[in-house]
Amino acid sequence: MKIPLLVSTGILLVALLPCQECRALSKSPAAAPGALHQPDFFQQQQQQQQQQTLPVLLRMGEEYFLRLGNLNKRPVGSFPASSSSTSHLQPEAPASNFLRAAVQELQPLPERSLGSPEEGEAEGEAVEREKRSEEPPISLDLTFHLLREVLEMARAEQLAQQAHSNRKLMEIIGK
Amino acid sequence: MPSAFQFQCHFILIFLAASKGETRYLEVRDAGEDEPFLLLSEDLKRELSAGQIYRRSLRCIDMLSIEGQFTFTADQPQLHCATFFIGEPEELITIDYDFVNIDCQGGDFLKVFDGWILKGEKFPSSLDHPLPTSQRYIDFCESGNIQRSIRSSQNVAMIFFRIHQPGNGFTITVKKTTNLFPCNVISQTPSGRFTMVIPHQHRNCSFSIIYPVVIKISDLILGHLNGLFLKKPSAGCAGVGDFVELLGGTGLDPSKMFPLADLCHSFHGSAQMKIGCDNTVLRMVSSGKHINRVTFEYHQLDLQEAENRKENSIEEFCFPSI
Repeated sequence: MKIPLLVSTGILLVALLPCQECRALSKSPAAAPGALHQPDFFQQQQQQQQQQTLPVLLRMGEEYFLRLGNLNKRPVGSFPASSSSTSHLQPEAPASNFLRAAVQELQPLPERSLGSPEEGEAEGEAVEREKRSEEPPISLDLTFHLLREVLEMARAEQLAQQAHSNRKLMEIIGK
Repeated sequence: MPSAFQFQCHFILIFLAASKGETRYLEVRDAGEDEPFLLLSEDLKRELSAGQIYRRSLRCIDMLSIEGQFTFTADQPQLHCATFFIGEPEELITIDYDFVNIDCQGGDFLKVFDGWILKGEKFPSSLDHPLPTSQRYIDFCESGNIQRSIRSSQNVAMIFFRIHQPGNGFTITVKKTTNLFPCNVISQTPSGRFTMVIPHQHRNCSFSIIYPVVIKISDLILGHLNGLFLKKPSAGCAGVGDFVELLGGTGLDPSKMFPLADLCHSFHGSAQMKIGCDNTVLRMVSSGKHINRVTFEYHQLDLQEAENRKENSIEEFCFPSI
C-alpha cells in the first residue's frame, strides 16, 4: 500500500516541480547532455501541464522545421502578396531555439574518426544541409481569390493561343 | 478449313503486290488526288511549325498553362516573385533554363518547387509526395550548372525568384509531357470530369479543385481479394487498406483539410455532395494490392444551388464563399 502511494507521490512531484534540465536546455543548447535521453519525457511533462503552445517533437523532417519557421516573426522566405497580414502564429523564439537544439542533439551524429580533413568537409556539408533544412520553406502568401484570378487569366491565354493556332492552320491549309 | 485457305490466298496476293512495288507507289502518291487535308507537303509543314513557339515576358506574379519560352527581366529590384505552372491532369511540366543572369552571391535566387506552395501549405502534401520538402526545391544557385532541365511529378509546379539588379533576369522554356497515370492533380477549371486509376501502387493520390463545387462520384472500384471483404465492414473506413475520402478546407494542403466523407466499398451509381469550401479534394488511398479506380464529375457550386437540396446529397460542409 505504501509503495504505490510513494510512487504516485513521486510522479506528482516530478510532474509539478520545474525541470532543471529543461530550463538549462532552453537557455543553452550545449549545457545539458542529459537531454539526449529526456525529450520524450519532456514532451509528456509539457502535455500534462498547462503549456505554451509548443509543437510536439514528433517528426524530425523538414515538415517539422516548416512549423518552426512560422513560430518566429514572419519568415524571410514568406512573401506577402495580399494586403492583409497572414502571420497569426505566436512568436516563441526560446521554444523554437530549444526544439531546434533538441533536434540537433537527437539527430544521429556523423561518425567521427581522428584527424581526416575529408571527414571535416563531410561534416561541414552535413551541417550546411541541416541548416538549409532548418530554413523555412519559401512560400507565397496569396489568397485563393487571387489564385483563381491568375488561373482564369492563364486559362484565357491558353484559349487565345489555341484559337490563334487553329486560325493559322486554317490559313495554311486554305492556300 | 475454308477460312484457312482464304487466309493463305490473301497472304499470297499481298506478297505478290509487295514484290511488284505497289506499296511503294502508294507512299509517293500525290496527296492532292485523294485526301488533300491529311497529307501536307514539307513546305507547308515547315510554314506551320515556323514561329510556333509561344513567347512572352513574365510578370512578377504570373501563371502559365501553355508551352513556350518566357523571359523575365527586372526593371527594378524584384524581391518577391513567383510563377505558377499548371497543365492538364494528364500532363507533367518540364522547365528548361535557357538563359539565367542573376547574382547568386548578391542575394538573388531562382528556385523551382515541385508542386504548389501557398501560405506554407503544399500540394501535394508531404504524405502524398515521394520527396521530402527540402528536395522539392531545386535551387539554380546550387545546382544550376548540373540540372538545367527539371520535370515536375504532377501537373503543377512553380518557381520563386528574387532579383536585385535591374536588367538581370532569366529565360525558361516550358514544355509538357504525358503522364499515363496522373496521381496528384489540381484542376484548372471549376468543372470537369476525371477518372483516377491507381494500378497496384502503394500510394495516395489527391485531386484538388480550388473552388466550391458539387461533386458527383459515379463509379468507384476498390479491388478486394477475390471480391470478398477480408474484414467485416465496420463504421467508417478505419482498417481498410483502400478507400476514397472527400476533404474540404481553406488551404492547399490535403493533410490539413477536414474529412467530409469516406468511401471504402465499390459502387456504381452516383453519390453527390455539395462542398462550399475554398478547396475540395478527392483523395484515394491505395495499398498497392489492387487496381483502384474512381470516376467523378464536378461543377462549381453557386449560391442558389447551395440552398436547394437534391437527393443523394449530403449537407454542405463549408459555408459558400462569395
